Amino acid sequence: MIPVNVVTGFLGSGKTTLLREVLASPRFSDTAVIVNEFGEVGLDHLLLEEVEEGVLLLESGCICCTIRSDLKETIRSLHDKAARGDIPRFARVVVETTGLADPAPILSTIAADPIIRNHYRIANLICTIDALNGARTIAAHDEAGKQIAVADRLLITKVDLAETDSVETLKRQLARLNPAAPVATSSGSGFDADFLFGADVGDELRRAAEVQRWIASAEALEREREVPSHEHAGTHTHHHGAHGGSHGGLHGDADTNAFVLRFPEPIDWTAFGIWLTALLHAHGERILRVKGILQVAESQTPVVLHGVQHVVHPPMHLDHWPDEDHSSKIVFITRGIDEQRVRRSLNAFLAKARALGPRSEVA
Amino acid sequence: MCGLCGLLGTVHWTETSAHPNAFTGAGRRTIRAERLHRAALVNQALAAARLKLSDFQATSYIVRSPTGKQAIVDDLQSVWSAVDQLRGAPIDVLDEAWIAQIEGSEP
Repeated sequence: MIPVNVVTGFLGSGKTTLLREVLASPRFSDTAVIVNEFGEVGLDHLLLEEVEEGVLLLESGCICCTIRSDLKETIRSLHDKAARGDIPRFARVVVETTGLADPAPILSTIAADPIIRNHYRIANLICTIDALNGARTIAAHDEAGKQIAVADRLLITKVDLAETDSVETLKRQLARLNPAAPVATSSGSGFDADFLFGADVGDELRRAAEVQRWIASAEALEREREVPSHEHAGTHTHHHGAHGGSHGGLHGDADTNAFVLRFPEPIDWTAFGIWLTALLHAHGERILRVKGILQVAESQTPVVLHGVQHVVHPPMHLDHWPDEDHSSKIVFITRGIDEQRVRRSLNAFLAKARALGPRSEVA
Repeated sequence: MCGLCGLLGTVHWTETSAHPNAFTGAGRRTIRAERLHRAALVNQALAAARLKLSDFQATSYIVRSPTGKQAIVDDLQSVWSAVDQLRGAPIDVLDEAWIAQIEGSEP
C-alpha cells in the first residue's frame, strides 16, 4: 500500500517551502506530488517542478468535491504510468491542496475509489500554520480551523519571524482546536520529514508508537478537562471562556470541542459500528475527527480506529496493548456537538447491546 | 492480511467484523450470526421510528417502514440513508428522545 499524505494550510502558510525541502531529501525523493493550481499560486508549480519530475497539475481551481474526479483520475493515471514504466515507481504520494480546500473530500476520494483504495492508503494529513498570521487566519476563516482540526500533524512555520509569546499563544490555540495532533515548528528549513510524513498509524511498524501518542494526548486532554470537574456544566463555559478571553476575543474556535470517551469494559464492536455509522450519518460534518483504541469483546488485542468526518479508515489491529491500561479510549474532535449527549447515547446503546448479547448470539 | 482489516472484497468498515476470522476471541460468531446480531441491534436503534431491518441472504439488508415501503441496501452506512428516505428524516442518535428510548426500553 502506497501512503498518500495530504498537505493543507492557508495561502502563504509555507506548504510549498515544506514540500520543496522534504522532496529534496533522499528518503522522500521517490514521491509523486499532486499540486493544485489556484490563482497566483502558479508559482507553486514552478517550484515543485524544479525538484520533482512528474508533477501533475490539476486543471480546476479547487480540490473540493467538484473535482474529486480529477484527483481520482490523477492518482489512477500516476499509478498506470508507474506500472507501465513510463515514470519511475514511487513510494509515496503527496497531495498539496489549495489554501481554502477542505481536506475531507480528498480523503473520501482515496477511500472510496475501488482501485485507489486497494493500492493506496491515507497517511498523515499535515497542516501548516503561519506563525505571523495563523491566529488571524483561524479567526477569519472557518476552513482554517477545520484544516487544523482534522490534521494529524501541525506545523507552525516562520517561527523565526514571530515573537516567542505569540508562537506559544498560537500553540495553545492549536492544542484547543486539535489536541490529538503533535505540533512542530520550523523557520523554513530543517523539517523533521519523517515525523511529519512518515510516522503514521497506517504503517504497521510505526503504528504502536503513533497510537501511544494518541493515548498520551487523550490522557492529557482528560487531565486538562478534569480540573474543574466538580461543576460539570461549568467545565465547558470555563474552558472556552478562559481561552476566548486570553486570546483577544478569538471566537472562531468557540464551537470546536474535543473530548475523550473512556470505557473500562470491553465493548461490542458491532454495536459500536452501528452507533458510529448512525452518528456520522446524521452529524458527520460536525464530527471532524474520531481517533481511538478499542478493547472489543471479540478480540484480545486492541483495535485502532480513526476517521475524518464521514470517512472511517478500516480498523487496524495492534499486536498488544501499549500499557497496563486496557480501557477503550476514543477522542472526538467536533464542532458544536454536546459531549454529554454523545457519552449518554453511546453508553445507552452499548448497554442495550450487552442486554441483547446472549440472545442474539447464534451458536 | 487479516479479516478485520479486510481491505479486499469488503467495502464498508463495519462489514469487516463479519469475517469469521476477524476476531480471535472465544466468542466468535459466524457470518450469519454476526449479521443477525447486527440486525437485532439496528432494530433497537430503529424501534422509535417504527422501522424494521432484516438480513437478506447474508448479502444485503432490507429496511421496512410500517406502511410497507421498503429498501434494500448493501451495508450499514446505506441503512441510514435508506432510513432517511423511508422516514423523511435521519435517525439522530444524539436526539434526547432517541437516547431516552434506548435507555428506557426493554430489550
